[in-house]
This record gives sequence, structure tokens and C-alpha cells, in this order.
Amino acid sequence: MAPSRFATGRWKPRYWLILRQTVQGVVFLTFLALIVGAKRGLLSPELGNLPVRLDPLTSLLSFLAGRVLVPGLLLSLGMVLLTLLAGRAWCGWLCPLGTALDLFPFRTQAHRSEGPAERWRLVKYLLLVALVVAALLGNLTLAFLDPITIFIRTISTAIWPALDRLVTGLEAFLYPVPFFQGPLTSLDGLIRPDILPITPTAANDVLLFAAVFAAIVGLNAIAHRFWCRYLCPLGGLLGLLAKVSLVRRKVSGECNQCAACARVCPTGTIDSQRNFSSDTSECTMCLECLAACPRAGIQFTPELAISPWQAYDPKRREVLLSLGAAVVWVSLLNAESVTRPPAAHRIRPPGVDEATLLERCIRCGICSRTCPTGGIHPAIAQAGLDGFWTPVLIPRLGYCDYSCNACGQACPTQAIPMLPLAEKQTTVIGSAYIDQNRCIAWADGWDCIVCQEMCPVPDKAVILEKAEVIRADGTTAVIQRPEVLRDRCIGCGICEYKCPVDGEAAIRVYLPDSILNG
Amino acid sequence: MPTSMPRRTFLRLLALGVGSAACSRIGSTLGTATPSPFPTTVGAVPTGAPPNLTGTVATPIPSPVPPTPTSAPLPDLVVARGPSPEALVQQAISALGGMSRFVRPGANVVIKPNICVAHPYEYAATTNPWVVGELVRQCLAAGAARVRVMDYPFASDAPSAYATSGIQDQVNAAGGEMEFMPAYRFVQVDLPDARELHTCQIFDDILKADVLINVPIAKDHALAGLTLGMKNLMGTILNRPVMHFDLGQKLADLASRLRPSLTVIDAVRILLNHGPTGGDLADVRELDTLIMSPDIVAADSYATTLFARSADKLAYARAYEGINAGEAMGLGRSDLGSLRIKEISVGA
Repeated sequence: MAPSRFATGRWKPRYWLILRQTVQGVVFLTFLALIVGAKRGLLSPELGNLPVRLDPLTSLLSFLAGRVLVPGLLLSLGMVLLTLLAGRAWCGWLCPLGTALDLFPFRTQAHRSEGPAERWRLVKYLLLVALVVAALLGNLTLAFLDPITIFIRTISTAIWPALDRLVTGLEAFLYPVPFFQGPLTSLDGLIRPDILPITPTAANDVLLFAAVFAAIVGLNAIAHRFWCRYLCPLGGLLGLLAKVSLVRRKVSGECNQCAACARVCPTGTIDSQRNFSSDTSECTMCLECLAACPRAGIQFTPELAISPWQAYDPKRREVLLSLGAAVVWVSLLNAESVTRPPAAHRIRPPGVDEATLLERCIRCGICSRTCPTGGIHPAIAQAGLDGFWTPVLIPRLGYCDYSCNACGQACPTQAIPMLPLAEKQTTVIGSAYIDQNRCIAWADGWDCIVCQEMCPVPDKAVILEKAEVIRADGTTAVIQRPEVLRDRCIGCGICEYKCPVDGEAAIRVYLPDSILNG
Repeated sequence: MPTSMPRRTFLRLLALGVGSAACSRIGSTLGTATPSPFPTTVGAVPTGAPPNLTGTVATPIPSPVPPTPTSAPLPDLVVARGPSPEALVQQAISALGGMSRFVRPGANVVIKPNICVAHPYEYAATTNPWVVGELVRQCLAAGAARVRVMDYPFASDAPSAYATSGIQDQVNAAGGEMEFMPAYRFVQVDLPDARELHTCQIFDDILKADVLINVPIAKDHALAGLTLGMKNLMGTILNRPVMHFDLGQKLADLASRLRPSLTVIDAVRILLNHGPTGGDLADVRELDTLIMSPDIVAADSYATTLFARSADKLAYARAYEGINAGEAMGLGRSDLGSLRIKEISVGA
């Protein structure tokens, strides 16, 4: 690949921009399709979690913290190879978050390259060091800063649920008009259940996830691709690799110092003070400069070299500071009781071992997306500070489907184990308890039986006892009253989900210590 | 800012949007008043007598009109026994006078099996896939324009329940369509003949169908006693908790609105215990039986006899609440002695 060859001749430099934007668009839509298709029953799990497995940062972190090599994650070496060849081309051409940021160019072309002081570029390296050190100490809390996991969580827990509500709301609004009924039914045939669920599933903390994404986009107003320049830890990792990348930007003698390239550079790395040279660790190979140059003064050519250490690149003292900060952070976290709330409300997906999960979960949220009932949500407080955004089942929002083991199939790091269906169906994740003060049968003396009806365990963990009751109005009746057989209940939570009592369910799943301790 | 929309244009668009939204509201009101281009019942035979508001047991429903005047009177109910579910459907429908008695050419047919959960059909929690597939084939052969199969699974997501039950494969192979039931397409309707459930949200496409074929599987159920034809209709409504008080009457109310043209009770395999979800083959009994009748009450009444405690009406008192309520409303007859029942044996 030698773009310079095409710089004169019929291939015009701006064609590179068209090519790059096309690639960005195609890859963005492909990633979107893969994430949407990660819903159970659409794509195979290996395809659905492909975006995560391409990510060298989360693969590295999970490998360091879990001390286990998940073969599927070796795919991320492909991106390492790409970086050694073409620098941070991932950031400029492929990263879906980067493409999303390019869709919001808050700064005009003339001010594209401006930004805060150069030294802030250091931050992404310090974050990278902190993430790696914390991972070595077994902590992955900050893995949520990875751009691919940010993108997936934003799609699966904010944008898609909102889109679903919007489309469904419009459909519900238009459906009463006879004219629209046929087209809407046809539309549903196209988009449901593949793109949107048949009926909206619950989403939790949608606003929080949307706010994080909005904040990252909003930083574009301070500097274009602020996130990529100053914060992205994956950008930091790829930037370090790019120090020795093969294809490099060269400014030739044709240059007449017009500074057009420096103005358009989205990461602001072209330095007019140093003959318009750039830093391979900051350059995203977007080729905007190539197209902007009026004199064909820029070439991208292969060269074996090591890029010089920049003033903003981390120095030994800063690396040590970040390392120390990570050690202190993890130590404080482990000592803090807030990080260890009682397990009672921490219902994990089936087969999860708590310690293994914390060492492997990179917070990508693919499990949330794949769960057909919408029961798996990123934890806010249920799993403590170090379990922030790890998956928990919230039975009132969605239950663990007895005939489903999709989350374990989808989990790219095997933080949720891949259980055969038969094994999953006997795996206990919690236990249901009846709130006799609220239960329709226990408190009011009326037949209800929904929890027994729904219980998927073959011999029913919820059984019905005949009971003669005296109701509040003095009448007596013989009713069927539910009881939970502790040794049969697997904690799937469908009883809690379906309980017809308003608000908090009258049968709820908890994680008792007896289950945690075997 | 030349690219931004002038305020005036924006206001114009806004007015247009609000106006059309308002018109759509009016349109919807008009729409309900407009008579449907299809008659509500295409079948030549009423599926039940008019509602009997006095509460007394209705007089026997008019006997079905035979397709040819010379043949013997058609049975009220057919019970077919044999190892091939498809053959059971073929023989039973033939004994009832053929599918063309219920499905006119060009009819829009909805078949409502029980697909409550994602279990393979062997567990007898969901309707036998070959029974459903053959019904689709029969309807298409009778000239139906469109045959759709749908249910609203309560214990699994619909795509996996449709697939795992095996019903999707058989319906597709037979040329029918599996359709999902999005919540927004359930419409609030009045149930004019009802005694308890006077209004309810029912899936619009089922209300609009020319022919509804009700295909439950006979199963154990704690609240309903058994889940049979009338209970299967609960899958057409959205708000199920409201049904739980006085379930029997409310099921009959629902049946009085939906009036399925044909009720086919799948008893190829029945679930004796731990219903309606099951999951243990030890609770399943193979009966290789199919019950078919235009009379939902008669079909349910006969199906109770398949269960071990059949003779004991008290054991299934709750199932009989629905059956009795249905009979009291004139939806059909439960006295098996007075029904013309044809039992046929279908060889391998």
C-alpha cells in the first residue's frame, strides 16, 4: 500500500476521503448490525460478540485480571497487527465510537485541529497504565472506559430501547387509522422480532448511559475527537504500538508552509512549528491532510522507524504516579465496605462465580443485549463499586428464561460461563420468597396461583396448598395458597416478573448466603 | 444561517403535523363505524345459539347444515384416535363435513394454538405441530386467502417458543404464516354478551379474521382445573391478571366475543400434572386423540373425560365453571349424552 503512487495521476487525494468515509460508514453499520443481532436467536453468538473480540484493550485487561486466555479473544491480535502496519488506522477508519464522533463535527473545518494544551494528551496513557495495573491486581472496574464497550452499552441499553419506544409509540399512534393498519402490520413483519422486540422490553438507567455518550460527543465542542486525543485508553494502547508502525506520514519538499493540513487535522497533531510533521501515536491515518494539501506535499509511505518520544508522552515519574494511583484505588476499593453490599439483591446470570466474574467482566453489555426477556442489566449499586456495570438479573424487569442459555454463549470473556441448556436449567441463581403481607392469596384470601402457573421447573418449585381462610369481610373460603419449595427453586424470577401485585412483587428472588456458600 | 429551517416553514410543518394527527383521530372514530368489507362470520353455520340472557340452559343449537341434503346429519363433535396427528385432522374435519364448511374461498383465517412456552412438543405444554400444520393445509385447500398462526407466549419470548415448539416449521412447511403479536395491536373492545368481562383488549388481527380456529392442547392447570378450548382463548388478550377472579365466567365471556368457528383439542399427548408449563415427560400421557367440534363447550366438556379423574366433576370443578358458564350463555352444550358424537379410529 503506497498511497503516494496515486497522489498524482487519475486517483485524486480526495478519493481517499470518500473511501475512508465509506469504510467508516460500512463498518459502523456492520458493528451496529452485529450488536443488534446479538439478541438471542438472530446471529450466532460468535458473530454477535465479534466487536468485543476485536478489541485488544479489553482482551488484554481480561487476560491480565482473569489470568486465563479465552481463545476467541486472540482475534484482537488482528487489530494489533493492523496498528503495527498502519498506525491508529482503527481510530480513523474503523472505531464505531470514532465514527459517531465524526458525525458531530461541532467545530468548523477551519478550527478542526484546535484544542487544549498538548500536554493533556498524556491523560489517555495514564488511564491505560492505571487500567493495566488495576487489571494485574484483579480489578476491571474502569474497563467501562473502553470505547467499544461504551459503544455497545450505548446502543444496547440507551439508543435501542429508546428507538424501540419511539417506533412502537408511533405505531400505536397511527394504528387506529384504518389506512395505516396494513402497512404497519407489514412493517412489523420486517422489523420484528429481528430489529426490535415484539413488545418493548425493559431497560434500566437509560438516561445514565445516554448521558455518558452525550458527554463524550459534547467534548467535540472543545476539540474535535476530544475523546480520541486525550482520553481513550484504547487509543493510548494503539498509540504506543503506532510508535513503530510501518506506514508513516511524510512531508516533502513540495510543501510551501500553507498550513492547510494543520488546520484540518481532526486530532490536531500536525505541528506547524516542526515543519508540519505529525506524531504517529496521534495520527489516525484519516488522510484529511492528504486531501487538503494543494501541492501534493504529503505522502504516506512505508518506513521502518521508531517515532520520537513527545513532550506529552508519559515519563517515568508519571507512569509511576499512575501505577501508584491504581494500586491505591484497588486497595481502597477492596477495603471499602460499600463495595461489598449484601449479596441479597445481586442476582447474577446463570452459572456465574462472583470472583471469576469480577476478574473477567469487561462491562461490554453483550449479555444485556442478548437476553431475550430484557432481564439482564448493568449493575449500578447491586454489585458494589467494583462490580459497577457488571451484569445482574432484575427479575421484576425480565426473568431468566428456562429454555435459554444465551448470555453464557455470548459472553466474549466467559465471565458468564457457557452452560449446556440442561445444566443451566438446574443452576441455582437465587431463591424466591413470598411476601405474605402482600400476596393476593396470603394477605387477601383470594385465589391467584400465577407464580405456580409460571414456575418452569418441571415439578414446580411453587406449589399450592389448600387452605381455609377468613377474609377481612368475615367470609370464609377454601383457596389455593402458594408456597416455595426451597430445594426446587432455581431463582429464575419469572414468578417475580409475572406477579400481578402492583409495584413491588409479592414474590421476590433473593440471593441467600446459603446459595453463595454452596 | 442559510441551512437552518425558517421559523415560518417550521410552523407550517407543525400545523400540518398537528392537523393530520387530529384527522387521524377523527379517521379512527370513523373507521370503527365503517362496516368491515368482510362479513364477521363466513362459515355457513353459527357456532353457537344467540346469547341466552335469562340464565337458563339454552335450547340445543341448530344442527349444522349438511353440505349435501341427502347425507346423514353431521356429528356435533368428532373424536378421532390414531397414531398420525395429520391423519386425525384429515379424518375429523372430513367427518364434520370438510373444512369448506368453515372456510370460504378468500377467507382470512387465524389459527390459535397453545404456544405458551419454549418447550419441545414432546412435553405436551404446546399444541402438536403436525395438528397445526395439517389445519393450515386444510384451510388453504378450502381456498383460504391467508392462514396465520399466532399465540402470545407467557413463559418465554415468542420467537424461541414458536421455533422450539416445532410449530413454526410445520406451519411454514404447510404454507401458513407465523405471526407475532405486538402489544400495541391489541385493541380495547366491548364484549356485548358478557356477564363479567364487559371490555377487554383483544389482538386486532384475531378480531378481524373471518375464521378463528382454536387449537388448544389438553393440559392440567391449577386455576382453571384444566386448560382446554376456552382457556386457550386467553392467549388473544393483553391484560391477563383481570381474568383471575371468576375465571370461568370471564373465559365464557371472552368466547362469546371471539366465537371460534372450530375448536380442535389436541390430545395426542396430554399433560396430567405440573401444567401449564410442564417440562417432565413423566407427566405426559400419549392418547393419540383429537377432539374437533364447532361447539367450544362440547369440545371442552368431552376433553375433561380424557383425564384420570374424569368421572369426578368436583375434581375439575373449576374447568366446569367455564363449561357451565359457556353453556348458560348459549355458547354450546356440555351434556355429552345429548350430543351427536362420532368416534373414528384412524389407522396407521
